[in-house]
Amino acid sequence: MGALRFCGLLGLLFSIGAIGGCGKAEPHVVVYTSVDEAFSRPIAERFEREHKFKVFLVTDTEETKSTGLVNRLIAEKNRPQADVFWSGDPVRTAILKSKGLTEPYLSLEAKDLPKKFSDPEGHWTGFSARARIIMFNRDLVKEGQEPKSILDLADPRFQGKACMANPLFGSTSMHAAALFDKVGENDAKKFFEAFAANGGTILSSNGEVRRRVANGEFAVGLTDTDDYNEARKEGKPVGVVYPDAKGMGTVVVPNAVVLIVGGPNPERAKKFIDFLLTPEVEKALAESEAAQIPVRSGVLTPTHMVPLDQLHPMDIQYENLAGRLEDLSKGYLKDWVDRNKK
Amino acid sequence: MTSCLWLERPGKVRWLAALALLVLPLLPVLPLCWQAVTNGDALSLGWPFSRSLLNSLLVALIVSSLTFLVGLPAGVMSALYEFSGRRLFLSVVALPLLAPSFLWAIGWSALAARLGPWATGLISGYTGCVLVFFAGAFALVLYAAMAATLSLTGSQIEAARLAGGEKAVLHYAVRHAAVPALLASVLAGVLTLSDPGPGQILLLPTAASEILTSFAAHYDFEQAARQCLVLGGLVVLLSLPLVFVAAPIMATELLARQMRPLHRVRPARAHWLPIGGAVLTAILFAGPVAGILLPIPGGLELERATREVLRTGMNTLLYGFGAGLIAAVMGFVLAGVVGRDSRLRAITLGLCLTAFTLPPALLAFGIIQASSALPAWTDLFLRSRFVVCLALALRFFPIAVVLGMRAWGSMSQTWVHAAAVHGISGRRYLRSVAVPWLLPSVGISILLVGLLAMGEIGAVLLLHPPGQSSLPLTIFAIMANAPEALVASLCLAYLTLAAAVLLLIWRFAGRYHP
Repeated sequence: MGALRFCGLLGLLFSIGAIGGCGKAEPHVVVYTSVDEAFSRPIAERFEREHKFKVFLVTDTEETKSTGLVNRLIAEKNRPQADVFWSGDPVRTAILKSKGLTEPYLSLEAKDLPKKFSDPEGHWTGFSARARIIMFNRDLVKEGQEPKSILDLADPRFQGKACMANPLFGSTSMHAAALFDKVGENDAKKFFEAFAANGGTILSSNGEVRRRVANGEFAVGLTDTDDYNEARKEGKPVGVVYPDAKGMGTVVVPNAVVLIVGGPNPERAKKFIDFLLTPEVEKALAESEAAQIPVRSGVLTPTHMVPLDQLHPMDIQYENLAGRLEDLSKGYLKDWVDRNKK
Repeated sequence: MTSCLWLERPGKVRWLAALALLVLPLLPVLPLCWQAVTNGDALSLGWPFSRSLLNSLLVALIVSSLTFLVGLPAGVMSALYEFSGRRLFLSVVALPLLAPSFLWAIGWSALAARLGPWATGLISGYTGCVLVFFAGAFALVLYAAMAATLSLTGSQIEAARLAGGEKAVLHYAVRHAAVPALLASVLAGVLTLSDPGPGQILLLPTAASEILTSFAAHYDFEQAARQCLVLGGLVVLLSLPLVFVAAPIMATELLARQMRPLHRVRPARAHWLPIGGAVLTAILFAGPVAGILLPIPGGLELERATREVLRTGMNTLLYGFGAGLIAAVMGFVLAGVVGRDSRLRAITLGLCLTAFTLPPALLAFGIIQASSALPAWTDLFLRSRFVVCLALALRFFPIAVVLGMRAWGSMSQTWVHAAAVHGISGRRYLRSVAVPWLLPSVGISILLVGLLAMGEIGAVLLLHPPGQSSLPLTIFAIMANAPEALVASLCLAYLTLAAAVLLLIWRFAGRYHP
């Protein structure tokens, strides 16, 4: 019976371990974030040091391999666990707003942030941004042959050598919705069809785009500035183009933070949002591996990055993109991915 | 005093109790499925979903067949024979169970990217998916075949050896282990149907990735639930013949006089076995592990990796072990309730396969919706680490049911009759005969479910209490953008932790099967 007793003891220990620790007495704030943990955790740890209460960070990515935290927030709507959602793009926060999960909060720290990156009704506030860029492999693309526009990905000189992440997910989905918004449905569809006809490949994520372009499997790929920065730091032979600098403009994807309606710790949540919107956080995110572009003037941009005022950002009504994306992801884009995913 | 005969008595109570236990894992998804069926539009399958379904079924079929063909003889030989590196081989093959499948897919994909476009072409689509799923499925089939062979007694093996030498022993053992191994391979095949990761990474449209798209790109839970129902229904239809063939065989009795356990021998051509084991191990792991760990020379981030292991290691073990324990208890109680009724066994197996096809996200959403609709005091259970263990257990408990049915079935009815003649109570019979007999199978089931649960991220992502993440989830959350060297260091830390757990388990298990 020794083994039985041993199993019983293990069972008891398990029960204590499993249930213990769920009644968190210490002051805390619960933050759900789709910003990569490598970038969001240092910020949360800095907040903990300054404010003497814990940040319980629940992380996820915008990749295609996960059902995502937005779904968790929607499912928890009746009695949320989260206080704050820190999103890597404003479209997810706009979706949450449309489902009645957000509470307006106008932080005093947001006063010098550009209004165009935030919700006019104060449901979400935008700050540090990524840009959608074309990363190219220097060994495969000769100088002067770099693409200048996203439309160049369908150019015959990149036949079978261009890639992008699945446009149903993450920042690529936002980019697709912005393109439809900007150039109109017909031209946007023409681009996607031409990209596929030119042998363009759909990959599972921006990370995959980074890896495969950096390794020379593809010459060019559509991805984000943080992915490019990672490849650059690893010493890969890559270059960057901020596409459409002379035409429709480069898509800029700001972070967005929202206060969850009915969250358990609203006051601490507001303190966290205030902290996130400070110039110091923008500076920290710019200097980190995330290489996020500060959107407020006066915060220094590291020399290896292009400051926002030297970019030509695409004129986007972020709050309108959620509806557009919903239609596209059930309609044309879904159909396009189904037809072209090899 | 209640006689122990009730343990073998048939009756309607068994049906009611078994159905109640079987409904339990489906309970969290029932409201969602009901909404999906009653509120939503009729599911139009369309070409994309049909094509994805076809791809998924094809991959599942190939994985099941391959694992059965390789896993059955490997499991039988590992149980019958002693050879150099046997324990190491048995430990290492369990590694893919511990890691989420997408990690292996990324490993293969990263290796192929380094080798060049020809390798990427080779690894994309069916080949890559089969390779990734085969690694995990192989361990399941190997352990099932091994457990079945170990239930043979020394007398049976010696009789076979005397009658026809090693050929006869192998023939007899393979025949004996074939049905559990076949069921394990079908379970493993079914498990591939609900996993979207490899298909997404290796560019093969699968039914699971369609379901994921419904969740994550459309935020349409009902559409996802409808697609799950179609997938589950199809699996039940396809596996029905096997279920009816396998169910009666799951209760092969051992007689009381056969109780002497088998002893492993060292065969004359024993040197081929380690070579075979090494080749298999290399095929399964060398590629993806190399792909994941190659960036390490760029800079091993030991400090960060150690910090993450310390932060999340305990939760990872707790989730795995807790799920294993709950699943084993549920599975063995259910198997005991089902007893020797072959119709009930067939229905149980069918429902287990259906439960296995459901993606973990569906179950997790059901639990989240229930917890947010219930009063705050239920948070102690429904928003604690316990619920993560419970969800993982509900996900993987069909494995425990199969092992439990096999273990209960191998007990002879004559044992109960003999005990009843001597006036032994049911409680004492359970304590002194049944539980000690079942314990090794319970241990294997805790191990298998625990290992699978440790690597699962779908349910953990959606259910873990804030601040209680697991190590695989942390790797998943950082791998998109973190430096390759950091991801590689974390993977290395995780593989080391997993290997340490496995070695401890095998060292402990070695005391029972020296």
